Amino acid sequence: MLRDITLGQYYQTDSVIHKLDPRVKLIATVCFIVSLFVVKSWVGYVAAAVFLAVMIKLSNVPFKFMVKGMRAIVFILLITVVFNLFLTPGEVLVSFWKFRITREGLHLAVMMAVRLSFLIIGSSVMTLTTTPNSLTDGMEKLMKPLKVCKVPVHEVAMMMSIALRFIPILLEETDKIMKAQIARGADFESGNLIKKARAMVPLLVPLFISAFRRANDLAMAMEARCYRGGENRTKMKPLRYAGRDRIAYGVLAAYFALCVVIRIYL
Amino acid sequence: MGIIRTEQLVFEYIRRDEEGNVEGITRAVDEVDLDVEQGDFVAILGHNGSGKSTLAKHINAILYPTEGTVWVDGMNTQDDKDLWNIRQEAGMVFQNPDNQIIGQVVEEDVGFGPENMGVPTEEIWERVEESLKAVGMYAYRKFSPNKLSGGQKQRVSIAGVIAMHPKCIILDEPTAMLDPNGRKEVVRAVRGLNDVEGITVVLITHYMEEIIHADKVFVMDKGKIAMQGTPREIFSQVEKLKELRLDVPQVTLLAHELQKMGVNLPNGILTVEELTKELLKAGQSVK
Repeated sequence: MLRDITLGQYYQTDSVIHKLDPRVKLIATVCFIVSLFVVKSWVGYVAAAVFLAVMIKLSNVPFKFMVKGMRAIVFILLITVVFNLFLTPGEVLVSFWKFRITREGLHLAVMMAVRLSFLIIGSSVMTLTTTPNSLTDGMEKLMKPLKVCKVPVHEVAMMMSIALRFIPILLEETDKIMKAQIARGADFESGNLIKKARAMVPLLVPLFISAFRRANDLAMAMEARCYRGGENRTKMKPLRYAGRDRIAYGVLAAYFALCVVIRIYL
Repeated sequence: MGIIRTEQLVFEYIRRDEEGNVEGITRAVDEVDLDVEQGDFVAILGHNGSGKSTLAKHINAILYPTEGTVWVDGMNTQDDKDLWNIRQEAGMVFQNPDNQIIGQVVEEDVGFGPENMGVPTEEIWERVEESLKAVGMYAYRKFSPNKLSGGQKQRVSIAGVIAMHPKCIILDEPTAMLDPNGRKEVVRAVRGLNDVEGITVVLITHYMEEIIHADKVFVMDKGKIAMQGTPREIFSQVEKLKELRLDVPQVTLLAHELQKMGVNLPNGILTVEELTKELLKAGQSVK
């Protein structure tokens, strides 16, 4: 049952977006998010929507699959909308009992909803089209300048990729421990939330112990294979920009410039 | 001088209580002298807690001797400047395949060692290809390690070590967590490396069947080397092996029991074919 959780979802298919360098996609995602806050008029949002739609089309990932990821944030979206709708002061449109809906409130609520959902879809285009591995690779390369201020960039990236590698192993282990305890009469299903949470404690202790043991073994195995941090290390799959990455940067720059122009003139 | 040599090697685990006072000292390895020649297939046998894994970790400079010295290809393991050379020349494969695979794709894991050594990118790819082919896992190079069986995972681990071009590899109970099929796969791969590539192999195990093909066998007990010799010499001393709590292969045991009953058989029979032949011979001489 725990296997249904898909973390860092990656949708396997062949597309231009899939083939892009992860660095391009990371920068593009950040730019897109910034652009959502740069534009303020409806024209700007139309521009953002068109850009996003083209990216989704190019990525070959079914739109339905993306909307699935939205389900988790529907609740947050709803709260934002409700608060903005009722609590913004201004020119009253409708009022009943203690609630008033203002023109400004309506405007803000819709804008927030659009911004948030674009933001989520935009970043999910990145995670859906990039394997976790190349994502960490891209981050490592992009963060490299931070090394000057003693940020252990390589080590952080290595930790992330090891964590990703161990997620399925630890899930399997959790499943095993759970079954072993169910076989001895443990009850994980019934009771309220607190009771269920309490039932997890005997599950977590052996899981933690085994995770530490694994970490110890892995560290030894890595040292035995000459691992000594990022110094003098070569890459099996080094990141290199190709022609399509340069084009992508061009498109991105054009989009961002358009957003700035819209902000200034419209 | 052989590729791996230990002289009067002693290693002590020191147990401490919460204040850091010494509670007790366990001698895991006790005055071991070992000499392994280049190209040999050496097996180290022993039941749990006999000190065989501790000994193995000394060869890769993961543990340092309390007393005595370990040399790998003429380099002292206590010499810090040679540390990474030793680890490259004496590759190590551990027991649990899950806890030693770092990459999320088979080929990336095999490339991990060469990456650490600073091998140029093109050469890494060559090394990955040749080492995956050497263990027969080339077809799985794009797979996630989580989708492989135990035996396959262990073969990937072995490929990861070979990609570093070691002179010898030490396998610390590589088959302990595998099913019989996986065990056969791994042993076959290891034998291939020894026969074809000429890599020195030190196989640590408690499965007697796996050491039949070894050139030399060391049996460890309580940190000391209790017996040494060729597999045939070792297996001819069935009573002593039983004393050391080791399981003798069924064929050897059967031959030994028959011998005790008065059937005329030579010592140290290792395979079913051999026993059949000897029994037929013995039968004819009775007639």
